[in-house]
Amino acid sequence: MPGTWRRFLDARFRAWVLRRQGEDQLPLTLERRRIYILPTRVGVAFGVLLFLMLLAGLNYGNSLALFLTFLLAGFALVGMQLCHSNLLGAALLAARAPPVFAEAPGTLELTLGNLASQPRLQLEGAADAAAAAIDVPASAEQRLELPLAPRARGAWNLERVKLATAHPFGLFRAWTWVHTPLQLLVYPKPQGTLPMPAAPGRRPGKLAEGSSGADEWLTLRPFREGDSPRQVDWKAYAREAPLLVKEYAPPGSQLRIFEYERLSDPDLEARLSQLARWVVDAEARGEPYGLTLPGLRIAPDHGPEQRHRCLMALALFAPPGQARV
Amino acid sequence: MSEARAVRPLAWSSAAFAGGVLLHLDRLPLWASALALALVAWRLLRARAPARLLPIIVRALLALTLIAVVLLRFHTLNGLAAGSALLTVMAALKLLEVRAQRDLLVLVGAGVFLLLAACLDRQELARIPLYALQVWICGAALAVITSSSLSSGRALALSGRALLLAAPLAVLLFVFFPRLPGAFWALPRGEEATTGLSDTMSPGAITHLAASYDVAFRAHFDGPLPPPAERYWRGPVLHDFDGFTWRRRGEPPLSRHVPLAGGSLYRYRIALEPTQQRWWFALDTPVRVSDPKVWLSYDSQLVADAPVRQPVSFEAESYTQPRSSGALGVLERTEDTFLPRDRNPRSLELAQTLRRGATSDAEVVAAALEYLRRGGFEYSLDPQPLGADSVDDLLFGTHAGFCGHYASAFVTLMRGAGIPSRVVTGYLGGEWNSVGRYFEVRQADAHAWAEVWLPGRGWTRIDPTAVVAPERLQHGLIDLFPGALSAPVRLLHRHPWLAHLMQRWDAVNDWWGSHVVKFNYDVQLDVLARLGVRTPDAYALGWAFATALLGWLLLSAWRVGRELRPPRRDALAAAYVRLCRKLARVAPPRAPHQGPLSLADTVAEHRPDLADAVRELLGRYAQLRYGVPQPATRARDLQEFRRAVRNYRAAGESRAFRRRQRS
Repeated sequence: MPGTWRRFLDARFRAWVLRRQGEDQLPLTLERRRIYILPTRVGVAFGVLLFLMLLAGLNYGNSLALFLTFLLAGFALVGMQLCHSNLLGAALLAARAPPVFAEAPGTLELTLGNLASQPRLQLEGAADAAAAAIDVPASAEQRLELPLAPRARGAWNLERVKLATAHPFGLFRAWTWVHTPLQLLVYPKPQGTLPMPAAPGRRPGKLAEGSSGADEWLTLRPFREGDSPRQVDWKAYAREAPLLVKEYAPPGSQLRIFEYERLSDPDLEARLSQLARWVVDAEARGEPYGLTLPGLRIAPDHGPEQRHRCLMALALFAPPGQARV
Repeated sequence: MSEARAVRPLAWSSAAFAGGVLLHLDRLPLWASALALALVAWRLLRARAPARLLPIIVRALLALTLIAVVLLRFHTLNGLAAGSALLTVMAALKLLEVRAQRDLLVLVGAGVFLLLAACLDRQELARIPLYALQVWICGAALAVITSSSLSSGRALALSGRALLLAAPLAVLLFVFFPRLPGAFWALPRGEEATTGLSDTMSPGAITHLAASYDVAFRAHFDGPLPPPAERYWRGPVLHDFDGFTWRRRGEPPLSRHVPLAGGSLYRYRIALEPTQQRWWFALDTPVRVSDPKVWLSYDSQLVADAPVRQPVSFEAESYTQPRSSGALGVLERTEDTFLPRDRNPRSLELAQTLRRGATSDAEVVAAALEYLRRGGFEYSLDPQPLGADSVDDLLFGTHAGFCGHYASAFVTLMRGAGIPSRVVTGYLGGEWNSVGRYFEVRQADAHAWAEVWLPGRGWTRIDPTAVVAPERLQHGLIDLFPGALSAPVRLLHRHPWLAHLMQRWDAVNDWWGSHVVKFNYDVQLDVLARLGVRTPDAYALGWAFATALLGWLLLSAWRVGRELRPPRRDALAAAYVRLCRKLARVAPPRAPHQGPLSLADTVAEHRPDLADAVRELLGRYAQLRYGVPQPATRARDLQEFRRAVRNYRAAGESRAFRRRQRS
């Protein structure tokens, strides 16, 4: 059972490393005490080769063979030091995992930095069984994107990121683990064929009263530098309210409120998928939308922030009485 | 670009393998190296094509066939030559199925192993650059296989740098890694061509004597040098003659028992090149030899336990004019006066004539030499072939021959006259290398002479060739017959400076052979003793080894780490802090909110005498820190600013100021 043993030892080692290093804050420059180095399989094979060469050289008392053996041993050791120094002093400046939909592959974006005046070649990042390598030029930063396996809906903690290198000769591999609080948010997969619910008859403000087109406004929001004075709700201002701006919906659009309670599908995930479908579609059309979930209301709005707010609520949603981890 | 990336690892590992094959080109059977190189070329031409494999059964059959062919050729798979051949063809087959990184690594491994085999096979200095090149290529191949984005130039630079950094360690380990006094197992060696003298001599069969310029051995003298006429180097002594061919006696049965005295004793060290034969060479009559692996036979030969496969070096002492007052044993006398009765009848008749005209053995010798001197004989490297009665043919027919002919004829005459005599083969002369201060004895100096037993004197050296061609004693064959040499060697002899250069090269080779190739456990202990270790033994060697390794590791770690170490702190800020500290001695220290220009104002208020210099310096700081970036000159400006800060003597000026105040 070498596999089991290997996994067991690996887990113990990782736990020990976490206890030893603690949680990390980015940006992080890799210092000496957190870099581990071991020969690779190729390195072990090279060692065996060197041992055989040593035996041959000693047996024949052949000076040249012995010198060659020692030269290659030194070569391997220099390779070890080059490998170690290739990682030492490299920096992990940022790590980000943008949210993805369920069952779609994600990416982990690592920003690697190099302050030294020499390039660092073949820096590998690894997380979640995926690995990729990149060269970071002198005094530069470089983004490394790692594919992440598709996951189910929810928030996933990426426990650790591994930075490694086998440069230059592949005889040794130096590595380090970075434990940084890194969460991958997985939205429900947008799915479902139900038509988007039309306005449930509740239209905010004067909008309900009649005229169409660009005059229909949706919500009031605080004044921001650069807003047109024509959009300011002067009447409200006259009533000593703060300076508010009327936001208009695009022509022909409708205000939508997506309600969890109205869906009848018994399957929780199916319902959430349907809601996600609507959110994505409404956002694509540029229509304002809101979301109600048991115990949560998201006021109508649109834009990337609204989309994220809604999808995050769906991702993290757990029906009452069912605690989600 | 991406295609080049995919091909580069394959190209480099193929180069590593092909390099290994090329090192063995003259040792491998032609078909094996041709197969390997052809497969390399084929694989590289198809490098871009998708890898299509032959069926496993075909590959297995191919492998078995090739193993069988190697077995047929060498009759073994064990041994250097057979092993190299097998490794070559098997790694070449690997080219047929290169797909993964592992297969490429196998090719590089084969390249390294072939290099090792080459090192075991030949250790000449001239081959070292080739070996170094091969190591370099193998290292670069490893780098390219590891990161395919690496350009070939960078891979070579990486590998070369790592090897250069590793070289000091290799030297240290070479000196201090404890060696073994002996071998733990012996691998059979393939049949190898023997060089130099053989243990038979058939002068009649040779019609053209080619002179080889290869060095046979080098002799370093400790004390006086023998004069040219005494530089006879003894090799095989031949006793048995069938009228045409001289042979060595199967096994020399006895050690020498005849006590020797007389003449001056020469002490010397000989560095012998491999001959694949069991005899070693020594000056005329050796009386003592340092090496226990060799013994002195009754006919004064040095005979070793095993053929000389690696260069050997030994010390010996010799007489060149030995005297022995003892008597010759009956067995020896019988053997050394034997002649086939039915061969060379006219020579036997001549011998009887000489015998009758003389009163002593010494007179017979003198008469025979006189016959050769007066008989119109000439020295020639291109004599006519002789028949079965070779001595008759020479003396009464062709009248021309080289040393072997005359030694053979002279000994025949002596034996015909009943005087015990034998043919000695070896070398005569040698070139004095003034750079290394030793004699270079070359294959072209090969010679044959005679020894006769004279009562009261013992075995006495007689060189009949010296009578026929007296100049042969003073000059080497090369000087007498420049035509016998190949064109480059002739060129060498026409230009003294070239010859001097060659001597220099030979001296380096000699140093290499005696100091590097023959470096062993005893020399290691010697080095330790010279380093001041009181009890040089394996234990001390182990300590020296560990210390050397550790020291090198620390040094190289520092050297390697230096390049990728990020700058510790901002050099500009450090210089500014330093300047502020200097200024704090003459003015109130910088307040936390103060910028450089404001600080300059403060200093100017307190010390108007320093105002200009300080304003200038702090202005430069502000320019460097906050001004428009000048990437082109920034490094130089920063350097200059730091130097200005270092040299700025606010305190020094105030010292002068204080002195003025005091006076």
